[in-house]
Amino acid sequence: MSQKNRLLTGGRIDRSKTLKFSYNGRQYQGYQGDTLASALLANGVDIVARSFKYSRPRGIVAAGAEEPNAVLQIGSTPATQVPNVRATQQELYNGLVCGATNGWPSVESDIMGLFGKIGGSMMPPGFYYKTFMFPQSMWETYEKYIRKAAGLGYAPTERDPDIYDKMNQHCDLMVVGAGPAGLAAALTAARSGARVILADEQAEFGGHLLSSREKIDGKPAMAWVDAVVEELGSYPNVTLLRRATVNGYHDQNFLTVHQQLTDHLGDRAPAGQARSRLHRVRAHWVVLATGAHERPLVFGNNDVPGCMIASAVATYINRYGVVPGSKLVLMTTNDGAYQTALDWADAGREVVAVVDTRAKADGDLVAAVRKRGIKVMSGSAVIEVQGKKRVSGVTVATIDARGERVSSNAHTLLECDTVASSGGWSPVVHLSCHTGSRPVWRDDIIGFVPGKTVQKQLVAGGVNGTYSLGKVLAEGFAAGQQAVQNLGLNSAKCKQPAVREIREGAPMALFHVPHTKPTSRAPKQFVDLQNDVTAAGIELAAREGFEAIEHVKRYTAMGFGTDQGKLGNINGMAIAAKARGKSIPETGTTVFRPNYTPITFGALAGRDAGALFDPKRYTAMHKWHVEHGAEFEDVGQWKRPWYYPKAGESMQQALNRECRAAREGVAILDATTLGKVDIQGKDAREFLGRVYSNAWAKLDVGKCRYGLMCHEDGMVFDDGVTSCLGENHFLMTTTTGGAAGVLEWLELYHQTEWPELEVYFTSVTDHWATMTLSGPNSRKLLEELVEGVDLSNDNFKFMDWREGKVAGVPARIFRISFTGELSFEVNVQANYGQYVWEKLFEQGAKYDLTPYGTETMHILRAEKGFIIVGQDTDGSMNPYDLGMSWCVGAKKPFSFIGKRGLLREDNLGKNRKQLVGLKTRDPKVVLPEGAQAVADPKQPVPMTLLGHISSSYWSETLGRSIALGFIRGGHERMGETVYYPMADGRVIEAEICSPIFFDPKGERQNV
Amino acid sequence: MSEISAPEKHQVTRLSANVAVMNQYAGGAVAAQSPLHHADFASLAGKSPKVGGVMLRELKLLGHLTLRGQQNNDSFMAGCAEVLGVALPIQPLTSVEKGAVSVRWRSPDEWLVVLPAEQAFDVEKALRARIQGHYSVVNVSGGQTILELSGPNARDVLKKSCPLDLHPSHFPVGKVAGTVFAKATALVRRTGEERWELVVRRSFSDYLWAWIQDASREYGLIVN
Repeated sequence: MSQKNRLLTGGRIDRSKTLKFSYNGRQYQGYQGDTLASALLANGVDIVARSFKYSRPRGIVAAGAEEPNAVLQIGSTPATQVPNVRATQQELYNGLVCGATNGWPSVESDIMGLFGKIGGSMMPPGFYYKTFMFPQSMWETYEKYIRKAAGLGYAPTERDPDIYDKMNQHCDLMVVGAGPAGLAAALTAARSGARVILADEQAEFGGHLLSSREKIDGKPAMAWVDAVVEELGSYPNVTLLRRATVNGYHDQNFLTVHQQLTDHLGDRAPAGQARSRLHRVRAHWVVLATGAHERPLVFGNNDVPGCMIASAVATYINRYGVVPGSKLVLMTTNDGAYQTALDWADAGREVVAVVDTRAKADGDLVAAVRKRGIKVMSGSAVIEVQGKKRVSGVTVATIDARGERVSSNAHTLLECDTVASSGGWSPVVHLSCHTGSRPVWRDDIIGFVPGKTVQKQLVAGGVNGTYSLGKVLAEGFAAGQQAVQNLGLNSAKCKQPAVREIREGAPMALFHVPHTKPTSRAPKQFVDLQNDVTAAGIELAAREGFEAIEHVKRYTAMGFGTDQGKLGNINGMAIAAKARGKSIPETGTTVFRPNYTPITFGALAGRDAGALFDPKRYTAMHKWHVEHGAEFEDVGQWKRPWYYPKAGESMQQALNRECRAAREGVAILDATTLGKVDIQGKDAREFLGRVYSNAWAKLDVGKCRYGLMCHEDGMVFDDGVTSCLGENHFLMTTTTGGAAGVLEWLELYHQTEWPELEVYFTSVTDHWATMTLSGPNSRKLLEELVEGVDLSNDNFKFMDWREGKVAGVPARIFRISFTGELSFEVNVQANYGQYVWEKLFEQGAKYDLTPYGTETMHILRAEKGFIIVGQDTDGSMNPYDLGMSWCVGAKKPFSFIGKRGLLREDNLGKNRKQLVGLKTRDPKVVLPEGAQAVADPKQPVPMTLLGHISSSYWSETLGRSIALGFIRGGHERMGETVYYPMADGRVIEAEICSPIFFDPKGERQNV
Repeated sequence: MSEISAPEKHQVTRLSANVAVMNQYAGGAVAAQSPLHHADFASLAGKSPKVGGVMLRELKLLGHLTLRGQQNNDSFMAGCAEVLGVALPIQPLTSVEKGAVSVRWRSPDEWLVVLPAEQAFDVEKALRARIQGHYSVVNVSGGQTILELSGPNARDVLKKSCPLDLHPSHFPVGKVAGTVFAKATALVRRTGEERWELVVRRSFSDYLWAWIQDASREYGLIVN
């Protein structure tokens, strides 16, 4: 395909580097330096989309982030699809594959087009709310078809092969936007030694100078840009971020910047490179130099391909060497847009007429256009466009001075293929508004500028409503100086370069071009092209009583597209204001929210994905577990061995074997993950008495005790064994998942409630490797390796601890048991964990030492009726509910956390859900955890629920199933039968019993 | 609290003591394994590229003591200075180093002392012998390790991992700060213009090793 709209010379493209790309399956060529949009225009591609609601053909309108139509699907493989990419911001690369995101089956011949034409008139604003909401149950069905018809891109169907990362940045000054104002501000600050970050969404710095023909210091503006950029690059404290969109401006000058690192190279990042990087910037000061977006004018059929904003036309000509048509009609409310007519004419193509909505215009550019012999039609407007897939002509009429009505019946028809329009400029106030600052309307510039802010924020240039280059530069330098001063730095000299001032006449405020017919009957006058919102729709919303602009937005969907209404919102708000007889400042804007432009999920995820999604915590013996075939269970972030299947064993077979070993021989558990807190200080004991529900006053040195912790409401939140290491020294253990929370809890109470208590807490969870030997042979095995400790029952009793050596390694041994068996918990400094563990296995071979995991631990403790906090409790069980009144020291001299809560009437009720054991009538049936008990299985739904099963297992020891669960008033209902109805219709019958199924007197642990 | 309960040669602990002080070092005969033992840096070092922007080594199997005490307790401050040979840094976010001993400020009443593993017990005993009043000494040697990152891109790796401002104007050599690091935590200390130490927890060390490899990929990682 030839590039029929490409100029032979000019622009910032490299004509020696031809790039091939495909759009909707057809092959095209462009040049290095093109955007996808400029390449499509060069090739004469008119239609890039079908509209959302009416399915009308749409063409490229803009040249930047505000583009509403050219929103394409990019990617050559299922895994590398990126939806909704603005072609105006996508740099062209060789081999780029793209297609229109809406239009079914294609944008050229759209089936929905027919529906659109018939249905369109029946689809006023609020159509979805009014029609598809009823019956509500049908919404999902409607939505499927609406989505298909409406289009918008699709997500990749395969895993994204690329990576995305994040980087934290800090600076004295963050400059957003590298146009003339931003460059001037950055240069001033950089010369003063400030740490500066300058970010711009484009591949090249320069902002609008990239497409301008103005001169700075008598030379092309880009020569000045190049010099400034080179100087900035020479400062080590300056970071230049290209292709980096500042997407969010958050509290305390925190900004999020999405930098595309490789999207200009291909649809996959080169090996080893991140595709994009999210910079998280904390800046002392910020200069917003975000410029302005040109406002299109709203007139009849203003969506026909060929209708563009005037500055975009100039950009395509000057920057890309592309003239997007042959015959131009330019409609403007201001002098500035006249430049586009000059650019077009200089490109050698015909300017049919400049239609100026003002009665009089006499600025420098107007004079230049007149001098070129271009027809200028003053006091006139294009009220309607002809053409369907491309503009074929326009109707021009004279309008009154306020632009409210067509003032004569005499219309002029002009033949043309391009209509460029300019309704003035809208400062890009988005970032300023992200922080909660509301924009302020200025009549003199006919636009909103940033309002008062609590941020350390300065503004310069277009965003401030300043548009002439000389003044823009001046504001940039001034903002830089101000920032330097605010930072307390010595400001360096910066001489402002010379720019010839262009004299401009006053612009006219016009947001809605009148038609001879009333708005509701006139050809569609589009305000929001992406969401097919028309001026008539907004007026209808006003008539239907939607007063607040936020309601108008939601009713009409104005600004809801991926472009967030950058192009049309101000026009829409002005039309809404007028329809309600209010001023624009009274009506205000909708809220601007991050992100400024859409951002890929990958960038938000960063490297917290896949294997790095969340930390995996390992014990010192992890490698051994892996090598011995353990299956792992996640407990918090820990990877704990779940069970150790041998070849050919099912999970249940492995559990049965592990349970037998613990009850009949000797078995070992890696218990390292339990939280451990070293507590020192003369008030340590007192502190324990206050945070545990039970008493600690009389625990002797060398002894261990089980403790229960409650929150203020009296509900159990953690438990564990705490040992008295010395008069002023305790070692607390917590649940694995609760470790961090308990330490915070201790610190919270110490720091805020009882700072007078002399006690220090130090986490030693990771410091100790803990291995629990359990079973009748555990003493025999340990005796072979221990030094310095007499393990005999007389000298080392149950709930004692001793210090000695195990396998030559200093160890603390705790004689505590969670299995009900004779048990020794060996703690060694974790660097020796694997060594001691292996020594135990060497020595333990003759006892068939068996490793067991968390599942067997669960079974063994359930046989003993020991609770697991978090499994059997859910924050709504108090110690009495758990049958643990023995663990409540109601007589302690000082109160304890939860004491008052436990006295609440509800906590004293007899009909609370209480922990019991449950034996199924059929011993082979294992109740599902979570099953709900009822008294009468025949009761109609909703049934009266008595409580749930919290733990349920097959007990190899007992040869039957066992369960722990909760039953209302269960402690008084021993022997009664309850029923557990299942989803499949079965009803499981069970008898309420003691939760202690095995060795109720606790004899086995005391041997 | 000056009473010391050092166990005599593997006798049963004297259970009447105020604090159970324990020599947890097993001596050179027992092969200790650092938290990153399984990563086998020694053999990785042989396979590492010769050039790269980031160098990593583990300063492993050192003694780590957490000290808690009040700055207005003269006995505590003087005792620490005497035993450690260097005064505890009281300027927030700073560290001091003398010989093989380094001390990192962690909070107004908390310091981390890093020293040769075999000295940890003697130092703890000596501290307890000299200090009066309310304080604590906890041996945490098994619970953490130190990763040293160096090279021209080491700072870039840190910038990908933690929100600290690491510019020399804000983070000079010697500065220490605790921080979220990826989704774990680290105590970061700058030990040279291009050299950094991270004290990380044992259980998180494998995750952080994986994270650092990933974050270094674009610069080239040399394992020492």
